[in-house]
Amino acid sequence: MSLPAEPMQQKRPFWTMARRDAAAGYVFIAPQLVGIITFVLVPLGLVFWYSLHEWNVLASTFNYVGAANYQMLLADPNLPSVLLASAIFSVGLVILNMSLALLLAVLLDQKLRGLVVFRTLFFSPVVVSLVAWTIVWSFLLQNNGGINGMLAMLGIEGPNWLRTPTTALISVVVVQVFKNVGLNMVLFLAALQGVPKELYEAARVDGAGRFKQFRRITLPLISPTILLTSIITVVGSLQVFAQIAVLTQGGPGMSTTVLVYYLYQQAFQFHFFGYGSTLSILLFVIVAALTFAQWQLRKRIVFYEN
Amino acid sequence: MKTDLSPRMKVALYGLMCVLLIPFVFPTWWMVTSSVKPISDIFAFPPDLWPRRFDFSTYAQVFELQPFARQYWNSAYIAALVTAGTMLISSMAGYAFARIKFPFSNAIFMVVLLGLLIPSEVTIVPLFQMFLKWGMINTHWPLILVPIFGAPSVFATFVMRQFFIALPVELEEAARVDGLGRFKIFWTIALPLAKPALGAVAIFTFLHSWNLYLEPIVFLSSTQMFTLPQALTQFTDAYGGAMWNIQLAAATMTAIPVLLVFIVAQKQFVEGLAHTGLKG
Amino acid sequence: MAPVTLKSVRKAYGDAKVLHGVDIAIADGEFIVLVGPSGCGKSTLLRMIAGLEVITDGAVEIGGRVVNDLEPKDRDIAMVFQNYALYPHMTVATNMGFSLEHRGASKAEIAERVKWAAEILGLVPLLDRYPRQLSGGQRQRVAMGRAIVRNPQVFLFDEPLSNLDAKLRVVMRGEIKGLHQRLGVTTVYVTHDQVEAMTMADRIVVMNAGRVEQIGAPLDLYDRPANLFVAGFIGSPAMNLIGGEITEQGFVAAGVTLPLPSGTAARGKATYGIRPEHLILADDGVPATVTLVEPMGSETQVTMTLGEHRIIGVFRERLSARPGEIIHVRPDLAAIHLFDTETGARIG
Repeated sequence: MSLPAEPMQQKRPFWTMARRDAAAGYVFIAPQLVGIITFVLVPLGLVFWYSLHEWNVLASTFNYVGAANYQMLLADPNLPSVLLASAIFSVGLVILNMSLALLLAVLLDQKLRGLVVFRTLFFSPVVVSLVAWTIVWSFLLQNNGGINGMLAMLGIEGPNWLRTPTTALISVVVVQVFKNVGLNMVLFLAALQGVPKELYEAARVDGAGRFKQFRRITLPLISPTILLTSIITVVGSLQVFAQIAVLTQGGPGMSTTVLVYYLYQQAFQFHFFGYGSTLSILLFVIVAALTFAQWQLRKRIVFYEN
Repeated sequence: MKTDLSPRMKVALYGLMCVLLIPFVFPTWWMVTSSVKPISDIFAFPPDLWPRRFDFSTYAQVFELQPFARQYWNSAYIAALVTAGTMLISSMAGYAFARIKFPFSNAIFMVVLLGLLIPSEVTIVPLFQMFLKWGMINTHWPLILVPIFGAPSVFATFVMRQFFIALPVELEEAARVDGLGRFKIFWTIALPLAKPALGAVAIFTFLHSWNLYLEPIVFLSSTQMFTLPQALTQFTDAYGGAMWNIQLAAATMTAIPVLLVFIVAQKQFVEGLAHTGLKG
Repeated sequence: MAPVTLKSVRKAYGDAKVLHGVDIAIADGEFIVLVGPSGCGKSTLLRMIAGLEVITDGAVEIGGRVVNDLEPKDRDIAMVFQNYALYPHMTVATNMGFSLEHRGASKAEIAERVKWAAEILGLVPLLDRYPRQLSGGQRQRVAMGRAIVRNPQVFLFDEPLSNLDAKLRVVMRGEIKGLHQRLGVTTVYVTHDQVEAMTMADRIVVMNAGRVEQIGAPLDLYDRPANLFVAGFIGSPAMNLIGGEITEQGFVAAGVTLPLPSGTAARGKATYGIRPEHLILADDGVPATVTLVEPMGSETQVTMTLGEHRIIGVFRERLSARPGEIIHVRPDLAAIHLFDTETGARIG
């Protein structure tokens, strides 16, 4: 019996360079991947699973109820008010934050001395502890607090900011804007400084005025930054919790009860874990939908990409 | 748009910026000055921009009413651990996604990016159940593990990946020719060059952990274990009314150290954050 | 020092084939230049020798040893990159000593080797600087220093001069050549610049579309290009190539008939090649219409229309012809190249 002829080829070791490198790749990403699965993806699956159950910890009940929680969600008399408060909060925050950040960035991009001092001060609330910042504003916004005191000196009688439904929500938005606008300001400033100077010179030669230069050159060129920061700001606005908890506890009435706060109340104050999970799913869907929508918008409104 | 400005324009711009500064600077000022006012002066009318009487006992009372030093330590060590852990994990993952070819890397990257869409607010209920099962309620584990592995570290990974993509690949090829393996290339070439991105990651990770509020109030129950944000809201009298001057003293002690570090290193802070992968 | 042998080396990225079987035998101590248009696969080939690209098929041997599956560090090669790839966070001395550091050399040994290399390249005063503090030429020298410090068997250069200005390029060309003569290390040098190839190489490998077109000494390639591609690629300005037919009467092209050397046996469709400097001004030559005159000082470059063909001539004479005028040129019959139009191969 003759053996078949050995094909003329070199025997390659199993651990080729490419394989060794791929193995290194898996080692590098392993901690992150395992962490994401354990602390994000599995919990997300569990949230969905829980949302199909009627689960009251105090009564220690855990029964499969199918879509009942979702029907309850649709019928929840509080839901319109919660969604409205969330929407007003997010829209107000994003608009105020982005426009103020852009204004500050443009101011800081001028040919002036001492702008570093201004930049530092505008940015400083970002590094102040969130709860400390909120407590100070809570103190300032008391009926007999600093802001109404100042207004009274000007002869204006201020409202009881945190105890009046309309002003309470506005107050929460404003407190949050001043807290974090510095972050977007700095990102915008970097984007502004990244616009090649020659473009402005060319535009001036072409006869474009300041405003036109801003609209036709600056805005298109920094639009990728605007889009990215807007996504981060929107997603961040939906996570607002500490500010509400410290300033208004969702009140007066339910005027400042945004979705996260409502979810916290349902799950951890009233111990309705099943319904709380349903609200979590709603939050996730909203975050995902908004992010997706903004990425889609990118194709339409972002004029320029690297 | 750096064109020369007329003197009148300059004055107008400075004026505008000074007015705009008020809501950014005044609260911090008010916090510090009010923290040394006696309680009776705290709502005085007209408001005092400088205390008319000083009462420094508020600072002592912070430590009497709560184990504030312990709480300070809790916040500090948790933030330090989270920051160090995130820097390590995210720079490794970001590097691999940017540089190493391995099967399914794009698909895995997409899965990891999903983490950005799932803030811990969404998963707080099952997280609570998981940590309950593991006997980690009223420990600091949830406050360490969730940020290190969750959404904030995904953001850090994204930033690191963007940075490493922009790093010239020839540097690493030269290092391979010079005799380095992947791990050494990462450690001695890529990571030292990634200092700006790492700085930015460190800053926002630290601030995120330092500001964490929902997680502590969900996971922690004893004052010994509390972190600062949680502790700050606990300065109330027997009727639940806020003890403003003591609360503000605690807030001042929480805010000022970070603020001072920031002012000293503001250039690195601001530019580090600005010049990372956030440009799109 | 070692010979390098490439045996039917292939490279493919998925379905996209980049190299279609390359065979080159490089002798010990030889200076080989890989030249070709961008995308021809020359850099990929060099990176496969270095171990930076996986070899899809075939074998790369260094010093008689197949290195296909060896890491770059185990191949005993050194490489100079196009953009130098100096570590920005390390001084010149650390950059140069870095590879020795990772091969377990002692501090004293490293210092000695770095000093030796720095002296050769005139880098001694720069050893404590960082790359960002150096000029382009200095960085180039440091990159070379990093390569020689280890005394490798093979030097690999990947377009090392393309980031330098024209004047510095000429200087560095001389330095690299001088370094090779001094150290005698086998060198593989990639460039797209055929002047670099001509002036530096012992032998040139002309590559095109993933294949080797010709291997030979610079002047052999110039004088006897093996095919149309090499004929058109080597030489500047490029060889004039005119399509037509070889007949009894001469070479018949559109609108013009050109003389052939006596004894041309081939007949039929062919391409006629003549280098610009092999056109001679002669009253009995073929009439051509001048379209552009570019005086260079030492010579005059004239673009003209010959029949329906645009050709270039380079003349020692200072020509006062203006566009539209007619001059008479005659090809030097000893310097005519004929190629098969279909296959591109040289005839005769």
